[in-house]
Amino acid sequence: MMSKLRRREAMWFYLFASPWIIGFVVFLLGPMIASIYISLTDWDSFTAPEWVGLENYKRLLTDDPVFWKALWNTFYYAAISVPLGLVIGLWLANLLNKQVRVRKVFRTLIYLPTLVPLVATAMIFKMVLAPSGPLNDVLGVVGIPGPSWLLEAMWVKPALILLSVWGAGAATVLLLAAMKGIPRELYEAAEVDGASPIRQFWSITVPQLTPIIFFNLIMGLIGAFQVFSQVYILTKPVGGPDNASQMMVPLLFNEAFSFYHMGYASAISWLLFAVILVFTLMAFRTARRWVFYETEVK
Amino acid sequence: MGVAAGVITLTACGSDSDSQGSGSGNSSAANLVMTVWGGENDKTTYQKRIDLLVKKYPEMKVTLQLIPGDGYAQKVQTMIAGGKGPDIMQVAENVNVYSSKNQILALDELAGKAGLDLEKRFGSIAKIYSYEDKVYAIPDRSGAMIVYYNKTLFDAKGIKAPTADWTWDDALSAFKEVTVPGKQWGYAGGGWWAQWWSFVYQNGGKIIDDSGKPAVASDEVIEALQWTGDLIFKHGVVPTKKQYADMGADVGGDGAFANGKVAVNTTGFWGISGLTKSKIEWDIAPLWKGKEQAVTAFGSGLAISRTAKNPEAAFKAIDFLTAPEAQQQIIGTGQDVPASLEVQKSDAFLKPAWMTKPVNMNVFAESSDFVYRAPFVPAWNEMQKAFDDGLADFWLGKQDARAALTAIQQRLESIVKPAG
Repeated sequence: MMSKLRRREAMWFYLFASPWIIGFVVFLLGPMIASIYISLTDWDSFTAPEWVGLENYKRLLTDDPVFWKALWNTFYYAAISVPLGLVIGLWLANLLNKQVRVRKVFRTLIYLPTLVPLVATAMIFKMVLAPSGPLNDVLGVVGIPGPSWLLEAMWVKPALILLSVWGAGAATVLLLAAMKGIPRELYEAAEVDGASPIRQFWSITVPQLTPIIFFNLIMGLIGAFQVFSQVYILTKPVGGPDNASQMMVPLLFNEAFSFYHMGYASAISWLLFAVILVFTLMAFRTARRWVFYETEVK
Repeated sequence: MGVAAGVITLTACGSDSDSQGSGSGNSSAANLVMTVWGGENDKTTYQKRIDLLVKKYPEMKVTLQLIPGDGYAQKVQTMIAGGKGPDIMQVAENVNVYSSKNQILALDELAGKAGLDLEKRFGSIAKIYSYEDKVYAIPDRSGAMIVYYNKTLFDAKGIKAPTADWTWDDALSAFKEVTVPGKQWGYAGGGWWAQWWSFVYQNGGKIIDDSGKPAVASDEVIEALQWTGDLIFKHGVVPTKKQYADMGADVGGDGAFANGKVAVNTTGFWGISGLTKSKIEWDIAPLWKGKEQAVTAFGSGLAISRTAKNPEAAFKAIDFLTAPEAQQQIIGTGQDVPASLEVQKSDAFLKPAWMTKPVNMNVFAESSDFVYRAPFVPAWNEMQKAFDDGLADFWLGKQDARAALTAIQQRLESIVKPAG
């Protein structure tokens, strides 16, 4: 039997939680369930949906070369841009953690790119990446003939990765904050024991940062798998040349809103969901081996 | 499924617009919602025309909704799917996305009742927005693609103004004359469907044949595309993609022409407004010809969506908006070429008040005689994507026209199915 007080408490709990519950059910759970149904139909969004069972999934997996290309491109993009962003973020944070002059100015400058709207950044990148643009000029100085980044199937994905690394400042700030939180005693003790700065970095800084690195890894993976705007703005036609930069979300956007294949697009979104789920689970499984929480006793 | 269905109706009701003024005895009393795409000038122009309409029929109320070009199709799609489609909607190449799915009304009967003679009003393009022999949209704006040429560069080499009688060879030799390798080019290029398709039809080819099947692997199409590609890589009279990318972000033919980097550009009427402020000396001419004359026309029409509550009133509005009085506003603001032939031949069109230079505006009426009927298939967007993907290597000079088009033909056969 629940006491009167407990019941009242429960009522208040649900009352205060209701804005979130309603929002979740109406705007997230509901559409998600609806999209499972839609993914099992052939629907042009105008006329009544027609039940086709698993046909959409079958066609995607066995008979759509563009889907596999987009999936591969998305893997390629995520596999390079996420670790690269983390390494650069860690490196920058470590530099900023040193007692350098005008550190605050550097910190601002490094974070600034994250604040510039993506559209503006992408427009500038278009110019930077032009065949005779500044980037290729620099490469030319050291004797490398730069490619036509956005026009060549081989170089368009590296170009998108370059753009993503541009936003590494966001991770830097989080990592820097965490670095500041590492107790000084640990370093002092290590110094007394004769550990070099490099040894200190690997044996103290990195292990202490693993929760933040892990957080950035998960968020980065999810973000990378859902990459859209960069592709949409930078490549023309979207995902070009010949789908060399086609990613999962631009692909499903095209199918849904340009080709009027709502069912097919919903099926893509569920496959994307499955892919992200698998990778996130994998990250969590391995996390036990390399992420350390201070309160945890091993 | 109860939850999902509930959610769909819930979101659909989210944007409730004002309801129809039904029930009053007058059949043309109505609140109409009209959707169009474009920018500020488009909005002004449509509004001016609507003001004239409401002055004539005070019992009508028309709400204009301007949706920026990128999001137009998606927005209208969701409006119709939610049962709140616009009464009057602007449509263009993708008209048959809607007509093939019965989302817009066939207008033949309404036109008959209103006594509107489409051929008389619009000439050759009267039935351009048809599907299975029924008309689904009334032409509203329509201008052929035209040739813009740089007078200074032409005069310097003693080349006469382009005419409709120029052949492909005449065009090519003029391009060669004015080209300065790596710095200045004869022609902006034909990579856009509206451009190279014109050459295809000039060469006796067809993108979709009369039975509704794709026909892009035919010799006529291959020859026309190869000619267009050769301008870039064999003759060097058109900038390559690389050279364009070096001119700046998003600089294409129009921008390069305005900068005087290319001597000839082929595009629609809108090029004029961009050029009235340019420093170069320019004029316009009709497109050259191949074995025969053919040119793409741009434009849009007005359609009535299936959700319109009072189609008669909506048609009455369209009838008025596409008649000379309202059509004159289209050229008055310099927005576009009005579809009405009467207006195209009027002084208001031939010598617009805002024009700063003497421009041969008669070119539009002249070109309208040889506009070909472009295949507005329901899968228009998918067809364009197939061309974009399949020609990517061709436009980089890595593949020949035959190989590219043979592959595209195969892909189109699964996308474009004959109607019925």
